[in-house]
Amino acid sequence: MLTISTDLPEVIKKRRGVHGLKATMLSDRDLIVIDAFGLRNQLMHSGPSGEGEAEVLPVPTTMLVDANGKVLWIEHADSYQWRSGPEVVLAAIKSHLDSTGAR
Amino acid sequence: MTNRKVLGTSLGFIAIFIAIGFVLFWFRQVNLVALPQDTTLFVVAFIAVAVLGIATFIVGTRWFGGIPAVGAIIVGAFMTGTIYISPQKVADNPVKVGDVIPQFVALNDDGERFNSGDLMGKPTLIKFFRGHW
Repeated sequence: MLTISTDLPEVIKKRRGVHGLKATMLSDRDLIVIDAFGLRNQLMHSGPSGEGEAEVLPVPTTMLVDANGKVLWIEHADSYQWRSGPEVVLAAIKSHLDSTGAR
Repeated sequence: MTNRKVLGTSLGFIAIFIAIGFVLFWFRQVNLVALPQDTTLFVVAFIAVAVLGIATFIVGTRWFGGIPAVGAIIVGAFMTGTIYISPQKVADNPVKVGDVIPQFVALNDDGERFNSGDLMGKPTLIKFFRGHW
């Protein structure tokens, strides 16, 4: 599992102590990766603003990519308060990876 | 006159109780990652508590009914506002099913460069998120 956000590396590191996630967590403050994927939010900015904060945020997105980097499944949030639920993500993993014989 | 103030004061308390109830319900659903995509119910509820709060003052209230009424107006307006600014839209050409993801390099939380080429060879779940957690 890989995560990408506009948080700076030191912020990600600090938060890792709180949530304990083992995933590779990448920092994309300048939205280079986010733009490469086309995930910059085009509507009103609704995150914290001010010194040290990103001016734009990505649309919360979850995607499943196969061993060759091909997108098998993707879901964007229509609202920043909404997320792909765990049951939806698990179902996507199950249907896409099990059916191709991959793990 | 007195009856009106009893009614107004009651409205203030009713407004704050509904407001607190819906805020607790909202954050419970957020925690469960179970907020509905259609938030109309919440919008209606939060506008309603703000209106009830305002109605409290129109009807007339004792001072201790004014406090919960102001609370209900603030909560109702704030929550309606956060829902109003929440819609998200990706760029015109986002990565789609069937596309191969773009190559990229980014820093991980140890400040080391991570190359997307390292993802090849096994499936990966990728999450773009808003940070701050």
